[in-house]
Amino acid sequence: MTWLVWRQHRIQYILGAALLAAFAVVIVIAGDQVAAQFHHAATTCAAGHGCEQLGGLFMGNKVVGFLVIATLGAPLIVGLFWGAPLVAAEVEAGTTQFAWMQSVTRKRWLTVKIGWMMLAATIWGAVISILVSWWSSPTNAEQLNQFDPGRFDLVGLVPVAYSLFAMALGIVSGALLRRTLPALAVTLAGFVGVRALVTLLLRPHYMSAVTTYYNVTRGFNPAGAFWSLSQGVLGPNGQPIAQINNVPYFDGIPQTTLPASCASAANGNGNPSGACVQALSHYRAFITYQPANRFWAFQGIEFGIFVVLAAALIAVTAAVLLRRDA
Amino acid sequence: MTPAITTTGLTKCYGKTAALNDCTITVPEGRISALIGPNGAGKTTLLKLLAGLSKPTAGQVTVNGSVPRQDPAFLAEIGYLAQEIPLYRRLSAEDHIRAGAHLNPRWDSASVRERLAALNIPLDRPVGKLSGGQRAQVALSLILGKRPRLLLLDEPVAALDPLARRNFLGTLTDGVAVGGLTVMLSSHLVTDMERVCDHIVMLSSSRVQLCGDIDDVLAEHKLLVGPRKDTTAIERDHYVVQVTRTPRQTTMLVRLNGPVHDPAFQVSDVSLEDIVLAYMGEDAPPARAAFTSVGDDQQ
Amino acid sequence: MLSFRVDGHSVVPPYLQIVQQVRQALRMGVLKLGDQLPTVREVVSETAINPNTVLKAYRDLEREGLVEARAGHGTFVRGLPPGPPPGTHSRLGRSLATWVREARAAGLDDESMEALLHTTMRATAEEEEIA
Repeated sequence: MTWLVWRQHRIQYILGAALLAAFAVVIVIAGDQVAAQFHHAATTCAAGHGCEQLGGLFMGNKVVGFLVIATLGAPLIVGLFWGAPLVAAEVEAGTTQFAWMQSVTRKRWLTVKIGWMMLAATIWGAVISILVSWWSSPTNAEQLNQFDPGRFDLVGLVPVAYSLFAMALGIVSGALLRRTLPALAVTLAGFVGVRALVTLLLRPHYMSAVTTYYNVTRGFNPAGAFWSLSQGVLGPNGQPIAQINNVPYFDGIPQTTLPASCASAANGNGNPSGACVQALSHYRAFITYQPANRFWAFQGIEFGIFVVLAAALIAVTAAVLLRRDA
Repeated sequence: MTPAITTTGLTKCYGKTAALNDCTITVPEGRISALIGPNGAGKTTLLKLLAGLSKPTAGQVTVNGSVPRQDPAFLAEIGYLAQEIPLYRRLSAEDHIRAGAHLNPRWDSASVRERLAALNIPLDRPVGKLSGGQRAQVALSLILGKRPRLLLLDEPVAALDPLARRNFLGTLTDGVAVGGLTVMLSSHLVTDMERVCDHIVMLSSSRVQLCGDIDDVLAEHKLLVGPRKDTTAIERDHYVVQVTRTPRQTTMLVRLNGPVHDPAFQVSDVSLEDIVLAYMGEDAPPARAAFTSVGDDQQ
Repeated sequence: MLSFRVDGHSVVPPYLQIVQQVRQALRMGVLKLGDQLPTVREVVSETAINPNTVLKAYRDLEREGLVEARAGHGTFVRGLPPGPPPGTHSRLGRSLATWVREARAAGLDDESMEALLHTTMRATAEEEEIA
């Protein structure tokens, strides 16, 4: 049965390997470029010639932008081109009638086919993760939010889980719809929809966010590449202060609500007066965030979610195919 | 000798429609059975039930002594060829032979290659590029290479030209001549089947109309031609399949239950095709259950 | 090697056609005593008829005493059908061919020749009865 899977999907495997290789080549070239730019900016900064370049180095960089999009879409490719046709194309061509009448049971046929496909998805996701982790290491030094989709989704464990999910989604769509084109559409819509849902609605809540209160005059920044979920200032009544438009702010508070004594400090003339400090002490700033050191915990949770989803979809595929009239 | 196929009251419904209704047949071992019937009569449904590709809604079915199921031992003993001749179009005949070797416990690659070589069918060309007749031969040879005990073929020659049809049936009968093989093949062409088959199962409107050895069917059905007169006695003694009355003449196709006592009627043989047409005709009587041939009792 | 032809549209059942063709081959001398008949597989490959049909024909021939089946070896000619010795048919066939050529040259078509043959057969049979 393994022989048949390899012989039947030979071209797909070769194409897949070729695509991965091409992707790797692009990453290596771009990665070198990025690393060079980074080192140049880092030396400039260290030499005291200004570090602005470092901070904004990779914003708006077109190559980086393209690579991010390509990497986000890569897991979907296995779902569309390998997963969706796996069962659907065979049903359309009628070759299931051939396969299911050999002396292998339907169960074994399905197990071996799906097994190899999921392995391929795992390899695909792992290679992408390794390649992207390598080229993005300079950008990580910028200490920006590492839970951001442009970073979180590309490295670590999750690309593997996304690929497994996409593959499983493709397979189950093909098995249920029995036609390749509708299966492709469902896989595309399903993948994008579920990923968006998880990223936007679930990810912020994997673990209870940490809220830290601090003095408005002192300021506070959590360590490392943290994820800020919300921040603001609590007024003397303990409620978040009202946001007023078109007025200047001082330490996060609209000046119109502060005593006049703060005005000079607000304009940059010296330290706040005693009365101002007294007034400010009634305010508390807060930031609700996910700490940077939870990165791998979050990776693990999101990995688990998508792997469980993939397993459930495979179970549905098996249940449907093994019971269905041929 | 256990029959190759036995069904009792076999019924298959899709939603509210009965594709096959109360079907009871027996096919003894070693027969080449013709499954005859118009389109939509339930032929494909019956073949799929026999192969275990679908499950009955009601009734029993026994094939090669066991109930059809997803089991390597059962699957190894049967071969099923669907009407569309399902093969992997991009793979060559040789690829299919290797696949067969991997997927079946009993596999005779040599005989498959031999048959295809004798027919001048190239082994290394993708089967999608072969002609319809060649593809059918590849599919049949592959199934025979599995060394099954029962072959189920769904309209295998419908789309073939006469020469391809003859070659296909030649390969099939050769496979049976080797021994140990029972065949059921469906068709709506009776004349082809008469040459190759020695047993017939006739379906019409999802029901069995006839089931038995062709020799027995031919012996039992006669055409009675006589004057226009009262035929109650004949209708009581024998089973009348079809009656045509003109002002002067009565023509009846009957299934005999003993000799005909009325000397006014001339008794003559009927061709198998005419018998089948009579059962399929619009004025044919509704099918009676367990309509088996006398000869089967001796099996 | 004896080659069979089975006509699916004939009123004669296939097995009987085989029997008749074997008898004819014996009369014509195409098959001689001790010759092996084509195997079931050979006949079936050539004619695409049911193997049981061939078996039935060979069994009938065996009952008539014309052939015998030797297990594991095949079916062999054991006797000749009653009638004139082999060679008679070929001899008569040759003289018939001469007549046919003559008749055609004279302008008779196939239908006329067959009619003439049947009439003559009937007339001579009546003659023999009277005689």
